[in-house]
Amino acid sequence: MNLYHNKLAQWAAYGVFFAIIAAVPLFVSDSFLLNQLGTYGVYGLLALSISLCWGFGGILNLGQGIAFGLAAYGMAMTMQMQTQDPESNPIPPFMLNNSLEQLPALWEPFWSTGLGITLALVVPTLFYVIFGNLMFRARVSGPFFAIMSLAMLSALFTIILDMQPYTNGANGITPPQPLTILGTPLDPYGPATYWLVCGLLIALTVGAKLLTQSKFGLLVQAVRGDAERVRFLGYNVAAYETAIYALSGFIAAVAGCCWVILVQYVSPAQLDVSFSVTMVIWAGIGGRLSLLGSMLGAFIIQGGQSYLGDALLSTWLLGLGAFFIIVVRFLPKGLAGLLEMGLGALSSGRRPKQLEPADRANAMAGE
Amino acid sequence: MGSLDLNSLINALVLGLSIASIWLLAAIGLTIIYGVVGVINMAHGEFIMLGAYSSYLLQSYFGLPFLLCIPASFVVVAAIGLVIERGLIRYLYNRPLDTLLATWGVSIVLMQAVRLIFGSDPKYLAVPALFSSNLQIGFINLSVFRIVVMAVTALVVAGTWFLFYRTRFGMQVRAVTQNKEMAASFGINASRVYMLTFALGAGLAGVAGSLFGVLNIVLPTMGTAYVVQAFLVVVTGGGTLLGSVFAGGLTGELQSIFAAVTNDTFARFLLFLLIVVFLWFRPQGLFAPRSVRR
Repeated sequence: MNLYHNKLAQWAAYGVFFAIIAAVPLFVSDSFLLNQLGTYGVYGLLALSISLCWGFGGILNLGQGIAFGLAAYGMAMTMQMQTQDPESNPIPPFMLNNSLEQLPALWEPFWSTGLGITLALVVPTLFYVIFGNLMFRARVSGPFFAIMSLAMLSALFTIILDMQPYTNGANGITPPQPLTILGTPLDPYGPATYWLVCGLLIALTVGAKLLTQSKFGLLVQAVRGDAERVRFLGYNVAAYETAIYALSGFIAAVAGCCWVILVQYVSPAQLDVSFSVTMVIWAGIGGRLSLLGSMLGAFIIQGGQSYLGDALLSTWLLGLGAFFIIVVRFLPKGLAGLLEMGLGALSSGRRPKQLEPADRANAMAGE
Repeated sequence: MGSLDLNSLINALVLGLSIASIWLLAAIGLTIIYGVVGVINMAHGEFIMLGAYSSYLLQSYFGLPFLLCIPASFVVVAAIGLVIERGLIRYLYNRPLDTLLATWGVSIVLMQAVRLIFGSDPKYLAVPALFSSNLQIGFINLSVFRIVVMAVTALVVAGTWFLFYRTRFGMQVRAVTQNKEMAASFGINASRVYMLTFALGAGLAGVAGSLFGVLNIVLPTMGTAYVVQAFLVVVTGGGTLLGSVFAGGLTGELQSIFAAVTNDTFARFLLFLLIVVFLWFRPQGLFAPRSVRR
């Protein structure tokens, strides 16, 4: 049997991955570098959410920036309001510059940190539930859903850019101080924040992995295979699609919150179309059918971008685009698929050929 | 903001016609490629951009007059489209989601290649002095160039219609669209039809680009502004020529009217919400051919 489809081996790989990312602060003393590695955790979360939605659900989502950006704005608003005082200084400075004399009602709930963070997570998820429900009930699927999610993203991008007095337009929101939780400030350059992001990444990855192995996960993959057949078997396909889509939106929302905690900044750039497409490229190159592969894809590509790309950004992007075309053309399962083939070739040398159908069944049940 | 009297309504309707012609011109190549070949071409915006750059190149290095740049851009971008279809797209015909991704890759490569060759600074296309003047009829004020765009759009739509419904090649295209296997068994070379249709769609994007390069500045990123709008027209129209003409006209007019009442950005947002609701009632679009499950 192909080692790649062995559940124990898969969990072992995840365990090694978790151990490595959790141990990072023990070896990295440069706080700037640690902060940057923390943002990679955010990219990992985003890749995880894309893999869940596109790899397992078969829903290509080119608008993941919706959840990421909305949550990031929610978190930034919460952090901004922590530095305001209800009596002496109730209005953020950029609003005064835009000649607002009163705090907009939209901002009122963010006085409370708990409520603010809850909203930052609930609003994007709810948005995905409503938008997904509308689309999937109308049986908009495949490429059309991709286009609609892309169009929704660009619509939100323009509206946030346009609402200058409420969102500070293109300048974005820069909360002056780090997030304070239960009286203690969370230093974005310290190991505690890194471990927070890392812990969320590990917890959500384990949850997502368990989900893909559950009955729900199997059904979602069946919908990916042939939605029509699943519908004829009596399942509510739209409900399953909405559920996996909203779940991936929730993970992206968590990523958005972590992002602002780490960088203390949000702007419409987080809702830029090219960033959302980059997420899809991570998962595509890493291997969308593998949660771990997608995350590693994000690390490799973002790492390459920041270490090679700074000097020669256009050449880097040119190479990335070309490589992406090659992956789509020859390796639809990404680099993880390459590993699967490699391990498969190893095991088929030792095993009789009759076991192949079982392998394929396993492949469908697991990754 | 506020009230809309008769004069400004007529003004908005005329402006809407101009917006509609621009969106339709951007969408028509996409409609053909999607409707016939079934490929979601995310590189369409970059084809438009290439059209603008080829016009710029021909104009500033070979001194070609602007009106000749338009058909020349058609030829250049159609040739590029042909190469991309033969080299990549034809291997992906039975994987619609993958064509979408592969063409995204193509769009990145094209955009970066142009940036490496021409740099990121804006380029400008020169037009005859007549085109840059304004036309005043009563209280309606419209630049001559926008009327040129409308005329070219009408010409392109009429030409495409003629090609598809009045020629032998058009009959082959429609036969392949309806049933590829059946058409192939009657001796039509489906692969050749796909290739030529893709090149034609790319070429039409080139025509659009040479005109949009005058409306806006020429930049490597200029295509992205048009591609989402073009897709909305195609999706709303259902992927047919007639559908795109109606969808383009309708969305252009609505955008213009909404913009007259509120502002440009909010109008776009409102229009998008309307399209989402519309698709909820009619997912197949305005004029969709009866769907065949393949």
